[in-house]
Amino acid sequence: MRRGGTTIDATATPGTTTTSAAARAVGASKVYGHGDTQVTALHDVTVDFERGRFTAIMGPSGSGKSTLMHCLAGLDDLSAGKVYVGDVDLTTLDERRLTTLRRDKIGFVFQAFNLIPTLSALENITLPAALAGREPDRAWLDTVIATVGLGDRLTHRPSELSGGQQQRVAVARALAGRPDIVFADEPTGNLDSRSGAEILSFARQAVDDLGQTIVMVTHDPGAAAYADRVVFLADGRIVDELADPTAERVLDRMKSLEG
Amino acid sequence: MFRIALKGLLARKLRLFTTSLAVLLGVAFMAGTLVLTDTIGRTFDSIFAEATAGTDAVVRGKSAISLDFGTQRARVPATIVDTVRGVDGVADAEGLVEGYAQIVGRDGKAVGDPGQGAPTFGRNWLTVPALNPFRLVEGDPPAADDEVVLDRFTAGEAGVGIGDTATVLVEKGPQRVRVVGIATFGDADGSGGPTHVMWTGAAAQRLVGEPGSYDSVAAVADPGVSQEALRDRLAAAVPGDTEVITGEELTEENQSIVRKALGFFSTFLLTFAIVALLVGSFMIHNTFTIIVAQRGREMALMRAVGASRRQVLTGVLMEAVAVGLLASVLGMFAGIGIAAGLKGVLAGFGIDIPAGGIVFTAKTAVMSLIAGLGVSVASAYFPARRASKVPPVAAMRDLAFEHTGGSRRRTIVGATITAIGALLLFNGLFGDAGNALANVGAGAVVIFFGVAVLGPVFARPVSRLIGAPLPRLRGVTGRLARENAMRNPKRTASTAAALMIGVGLVGFITIFAASAKTSINESIDKAFTGDFVVDSGTFGFGGLSPELAASLKKLPEVRAAAGFRMGQAKIDGGTRYLGAVDPEEFGQIIDLDIAEGSFEDLRGDTFAVDTATARDQKWKVGTEVPAQFAHTGDKTLRLAAIYRRVDAGGQYLLPLETYAANFGQQFDARVFVSRAEGVTPEAARKAVEAVTAAYPNATLQDQTEFKEAQSAQINQMLGLIYVMLALAIVIAFLGIMNTLALSIFERTRELGLLRAVGMTRRQLRSAVRWEAVIIALFGTLLGLVVGLFFGWSLVQALKDSGIHKLTVPTGQLLFIVLIGALAGVAAAALPGRRAARLDVLKAITTE
Repeated sequence: MRRGGTTIDATATPGTTTTSAAARAVGASKVYGHGDTQVTALHDVTVDFERGRFTAIMGPSGSGKSTLMHCLAGLDDLSAGKVYVGDVDLTTLDERRLTTLRRDKIGFVFQAFNLIPTLSALENITLPAALAGREPDRAWLDTVIATVGLGDRLTHRPSELSGGQQQRVAVARALAGRPDIVFADEPTGNLDSRSGAEILSFARQAVDDLGQTIVMVTHDPGAAAYADRVVFLADGRIVDELADPTAERVLDRMKSLEG
Repeated sequence: MFRIALKGLLARKLRLFTTSLAVLLGVAFMAGTLVLTDTIGRTFDSIFAEATAGTDAVVRGKSAISLDFGTQRARVPATIVDTVRGVDGVADAEGLVEGYAQIVGRDGKAVGDPGQGAPTFGRNWLTVPALNPFRLVEGDPPAADDEVVLDRFTAGEAGVGIGDTATVLVEKGPQRVRVVGIATFGDADGSGGPTHVMWTGAAAQRLVGEPGSYDSVAAVADPGVSQEALRDRLAAAVPGDTEVITGEELTEENQSIVRKALGFFSTFLLTFAIVALLVGSFMIHNTFTIIVAQRGREMALMRAVGASRRQVLTGVLMEAVAVGLLASVLGMFAGIGIAAGLKGVLAGFGIDIPAGGIVFTAKTAVMSLIAGLGVSVASAYFPARRASKVPPVAAMRDLAFEHTGGSRRRTIVGATITAIGALLLFNGLFGDAGNALANVGAGAVVIFFGVAVLGPVFARPVSRLIGAPLPRLRGVTGRLARENAMRNPKRTASTAAALMIGVGLVGFITIFAASAKTSINESIDKAFTGDFVVDSGTFGFGGLSPELAASLKKLPEVRAAAGFRMGQAKIDGGTRYLGAVDPEEFGQIIDLDIAEGSFEDLRGDTFAVDTATARDQKWKVGTEVPAQFAHTGDKTLRLAAIYRRVDAGGQYLLPLETYAANFGQQFDARVFVSRAEGVTPEAARKAVEAVTAAYPNATLQDQTEFKEAQSAQINQMLGLIYVMLALAIVIAFLGIMNTLALSIFERTRELGLLRAVGMTRRQLRSAVRWEAVIIALFGTLLGLVVGLFFGWSLVQALKDSGIHKLTVPTGQLLFIVLIGALAGVAAAALPGRRAARLDVLKAITTE
């Protein structure tokens, strides 16, 4: 169930390598500051994230994993190199186009503070569509809501929801617009283990049943084990990769990286 | 603690500045008023000192009536001059004549506007140099009846010089004069506004005074004789119906009259400064409440690590002290600029006052400091106290935002305060309170506070209502704007409350003015059955020569022409404004709607009053009432008629003959004209115009023009008050700006999230804008409700004084609402820009 064969693996289709990735970074570098205080967060990173797959990015703190995700998601800009979402080179977009790209092509799940407190759960879920002035796809919305199991909570405000329920709303929002890719930044970091497991199962389900592409930054090997593939970062470089991870194998790799 | 507070301040320079600005504007207005009035006061002091510099004693009539500004007194016989000259110690003496005379300029227009501006004097050229403040600099003193000397200012205004002839309007009608001399007032061109036309003594007596008498007699002492000694010697020599004062006493008396007038003027302007400070205090209170809420955790931490409550309180108050000091000091200096601005604004509204140099007194400095510091610290005190009560354990907890709006307790307290305010207001308006104005003012302020307390109760439902169309119009952006305006009712309410004050007063004055206009128009329609009004534009000093009405009456095209004179006299102990008319002529044109008695009986020593006055004084037709006139002393008047239309005739009416017998000067403020039967309005107007053309101080109006002129007068006052209240509204919008900026700061993460999931900068700006519009509209509506209440109350109170119909000018009020909304848009510009510029990544990763 976790790694169902129904996923559409674009890499399997020959001759379409440029469009096969939902997102990719090519020679991506990110430098903060100038002169003596200069810090290199990303160092010539090239990586693809295939469609329909669930990828985890791992690494010790300061490894650049969040920076990579922020750059891939159009929240931060690169010092050198390129990042693509689909065929679109993010480095060529102005601020307005980046915003609409985030709205229409990307879904987000953050660690905390994912929801607008003044809007109901349903309004939060349909927020990107509302910002675009579009009616949400009703049937798809129902599917997503059913998947995350929020049916009776839709009219509640975030303050009336538990942490786990809030993250489920966030996941539903990320999926509701059928984005090309969903970026999740430590989505279970603030949750107890049961709620965390729930969220990760939904993510898995979204990939398996709905064909969604998900990239998740995490430092939790248990969470990474839900992914199809784990990319390891250290000192701003990709240092390792693991397919079909389990928590133990991820932990081993992490230990070797930190050791 | 001090260093921590200071550090916090410098880290928030921008907020320190905008917060200070709110108080600064009020302080600057106050300081500006004080600087302006002090400067005017000093200017007048020196003018009066100059005018009587060489006078050692003055003999004048004892019979006098104190008016609001100055005194009206009886003239003295010219023979007294010789008596005075004969007193031992008198070096020389001369009689003084002073009255209305208005020179007509080269352009055919009367120079000056005694109705609104400085008086236009006619006087005698004093031949005793020590007594004459004017110095001849060109030409000769007047020798013949038609020769005059002008001061250089008047000559310049009229565009005439030596050898020119000009027309001068006086009580006896237009006079042709020849300019033979030009003089200066001391070394100055003029005496700071008034115009002066100076004749020979005899001509002046005949034209602007009374033959055989003087207004007063001034004397110069022999060397070695003190002013006091001279006064005492003179007092022993002059008749019993005169009095003697020294030159210094006269100077002081003149100066104190101006002081008193300036006092009113200053109070008028200070009212607006106080309104501005009040609005500023609302904003300070609000700002500190928000700051304290946002820094609650930091303060709890300070308490946790050992800061005492007192230290936390002091820490917050330090910021208020800094705000107040900054506002006071900068406001004080800005006040000097404001003083010049105020003078310009007032001049724009026809109130031109001489003010030379800048007088900045210690009083201005001290009052600025007290106002700025006082308002800041007092407004910040309660938020600061709340901050100091934060339990140390709150440092460990998430701070719960206050979402509550109306508690039961708040509703009761707010309603009670509002009711007390209303009672004070009513007591001032309807009761016999000692100081009605103070009661009204206090009532208004208390009502504002009461409504401000009630504000949070309404904030949520009203914001919801105002914002109701937004989700449909602006989609999710509008929805967010509405929710944001509703999420913290207390904040929304207190931000709106600051605006409420300014809008409340604007709304009130608008409604009141509209009611006054309607009432006046209605009463003109009902009472005025004539065709034309010839208006002088003045009610106090000068006016139309009675010759004008007499000439009009003689026209075959005219059926009746009734002059309307105004004056003041003591009736039954109180000084009253009264009108005087020829009942026969007046009765043909104005329908006073007689309730009792007969207008025909208004002859000899009689008078008429309106029904309300008769009721209040418990007078009936036939009642005899003691009266006192400045010129003629005690009389007894019998009430001949009681009329209903107070607005057409005023409260007291005398027969013209009685006025003529008891007043020293005879001027018609207006002449009402009705055309003869069978004459077309056009033909009548032509005939009337031919007569009025010789009187450039007269304006001929038909009924419509008359109404328009009345409305224009109200509009002018309205305009001035709008300009003065604009400041309070500007401060309120600074408040909206500040609140939005602080709210945006508080919502950084939320805004970051919105931007991350695809809200464009434009959408974000729009959300902030609409939130501001909702807050602004809430404040505007609250204000209009309060304004409507004030307007209604005042109209009720003035029912007997001729303003009987409450008129709600819907169009104008809608315009105010529109302005409120637009100003909300303006207030949102900067915070909205800031919000849109937010670094998305930083925003979503902030703690």
